Amino acid sequence: MQLDFSARELTIKLVYYGPALSGKTTNLHSLHRAADQGIVGRLMTLETRDDRTLFFDLLPFTFRDKGGLSVRLKVFTVPGQVIHASTRRLVLQGADGIAFIADSQVAETENNATAFVDLKENLKTYGLTLKQIPLIIQFNKRDLAAVRSDEEIAALAAQGREPVYLAVATRGDGVVESFIGLLYLTWSALDAEHDLNRKFGFDSTAFLESVAKKLGHDGPLSDVLAACVGGALEVLRPEAE
Amino acid sequence: MPGSPTALLDELTLGRAVELESLVDRGALREMAESAHQLFGASLRIFSQAGGLLADASSQPRLYALLDQGQAGRTALSAVVSGVKSVEPEPEHPAEVGCVTGARYLVASISYDSHALGRLILGPYREPGAAPSGSLRELGLDMAQVPGAWAELPELSDQEAHRVVRHLSAVLDLILFSGHKALLTSNMHLASVQESYRELADKNAKLQHAFDRLKELDRLKSNFLGTVSHELRTPLTSIIGYSEMLREGIAGEISAEQKEFVQTIHAKGEQLLELIKGLLDLSKLESGTMSLRKSEIDVVPVVQDVAQTLAPAARKKGVEIRVVSETGLPTVWADAERVRQVLLNLSENALKFTPTEGSVTLTVRASMIERRADEDGRGLVLFSTKRPAIEIRVVDTGIGVPDGEKEKVFDAFYQVDGSATREHEGTGLGLSIVRRLVDAHDGTVRVEDNTPTGAVFVVTIPCRRTTIA
Repeated sequence: MQLDFSARELTIKLVYYGPALSGKTTNLHSLHRAADQGIVGRLMTLETRDDRTLFFDLLPFTFRDKGGLSVRLKVFTVPGQVIHASTRRLVLQGADGIAFIADSQVAETENNATAFVDLKENLKTYGLTLKQIPLIIQFNKRDLAAVRSDEEIAALAAQGREPVYLAVATRGDGVVESFIGLLYLTWSALDAEHDLNRKFGFDSTAFLESVAKKLGHDGPLSDVLAACVGGALEVLRPEAE
Repeated sequence: MPGSPTALLDELTLGRAVELESLVDRGALREMAESAHQLFGASLRIFSQAGGLLADASSQPRLYALLDQGQAGRTALSAVVSGVKSVEPEPEHPAEVGCVTGARYLVASISYDSHALGRLILGPYREPGAAPSGSLRELGLDMAQVPGAWAELPELSDQEAHRVVRHLSAVLDLILFSGHKALLTSNMHLASVQESYRELADKNAKLQHAFDRLKELDRLKSNFLGTVSHELRTPLTSIIGYSEMLREGIAGEISAEQKEFVQTIHAKGEQLLELIKGLLDLSKLESGTMSLRKSEIDVVPVVQDVAQTLAPAARKKGVEIRVVSETGLPTVWADAERVRQVLLNLSENALKFTPTEGSVTLTVRASMIERRADEDGRGLVLFSTKRPAIEIRVVDTGIGVPDGEKEKVFDAFYQVDGSATREHEGTGLGLSIVRRLVDAHDGTVRVEDNTPTGAVFVVTIPCRRTTIA
């Protein structure tokens, strides 16, 4: 997070992590499509010729609060391919929240697990553990055949700690819900640490509802948050460490 | 790390550090302004946020040259220039500024990612049908020349001017985006290379350190184990040897009672030797210095070898020992010698506790092993729950293991019958060594009941070499 008091500007960094070809960039494309033009900037993709992410993708959002605070969200994806290990670490640096995009196909289970271990290792180089950073997990590609069943995911998700979302990023299903879930956890954790709501006279729920609305989800925040299938939308608090 | 590529990346992607000058090439910007000037006729100037003139595609119109000739005109002109410069237009809302000549300027903010980076100034231009300002006469201009000079000014309606500025802003935005992307790409490239280098250097240093430490540890360990085994075994070998000689009557005839005593000394000596060997194994396993020579091995021959080794003892005791195995089993990633030790230990145990006419059966089959949860249960959902494994069951028809003891039997020195008068001999180290050896293979071992009587020790060893958790 970067806070510029003089400009009343807050910049939050969200990172979409996950194995190669799990749909991180597709998630960003979907978010970009869903977003009101007034809040979203151009999607910057630094990709190779074969449409694989080379360094990262970057989707910027800007929200202006009535109180004059402008909240800028920078949503990054990391390159999933194994060889880009150092790039992934660089992009991960300073992340305020992480969405782990997993591939639902049974055959990709080991790749998901390997990428998750990689995330853990990379966080460790910044002196962080998974306990200390807001995290959601999205199971993408639910529309494909030979995917892990809803029941299996729900059963495992119920044992885990982090909220789990189901998605079909190509169709936009579950993409905004995952994003709002991540933003909710991230904002709540940042607020718990920096007391943002009080300092800026900010209303978190109204803010998150307005973000959801600008992304095409009209209605109470609780409706969007209810989309998660397991784990808990458990807010990290500094004293809990 | 200020100034490092990563810090720069943060500034480029998160902060406000981006400057117009750093995103675009000045020459290219000038060319773009020139071509716009030629296309639309009106002059075009581009300023950075700090006020520096980055591109100037303008030609002084004759009207302004006339104005520039007199003191009053010059003063009025510089007032216009500072007026135009002081305008702060909102993004997307260019500001129109009138000039003392009656012509107009349009000032637009150049912004990128909602941050103002500079300004673009179009003009002067005259609106269709507009007349030169009457104040020109007061500024001492030769009014005969004014209509001609006025007509030379480029003609643009306000609507057209706004359209031109909108178009130029869109082109500029694209240029800025491409510039930003190129800047990010090159910085990212640099940062990635540096990060890879740092990582390699770091790993090399760690490897060197670990290597040095291991060499030292290895030396210490060898010394310690060598000393212990030598110091303990040397006197013990003498005890065993001399008691054996006494028993055999080499030092002269001994009575039956003396022979029984010597026999006990000999047996206990052997037992103590086994205990020392077990302890050495255990200490190696605990300290992690037991080196496992893992390779892809087929378990069935190992099991058959164990059964053959024990066959004479089993025959002597009247216990049947047999091997049952599935065909076409996958290999496991294990140390064959240690797997043999595990199975020999369990089979010896089974044999020990199985009475005459009983049986010990070793079965081998394909199975699955549950993945163990991570330290805090995070990310569990991402792993597959099971992975392929080989299961070896050592089934006996002996006395079995009581329910409350099923976990404890794997503790070091634990005996189900701990009394001094217990029926079965043993150091109580065997099963704890088994458990540790199986753990070192990432496998599991547990006890089940055999019906109607006896125990089943189930060893499961994963097939795959890679471990994720």
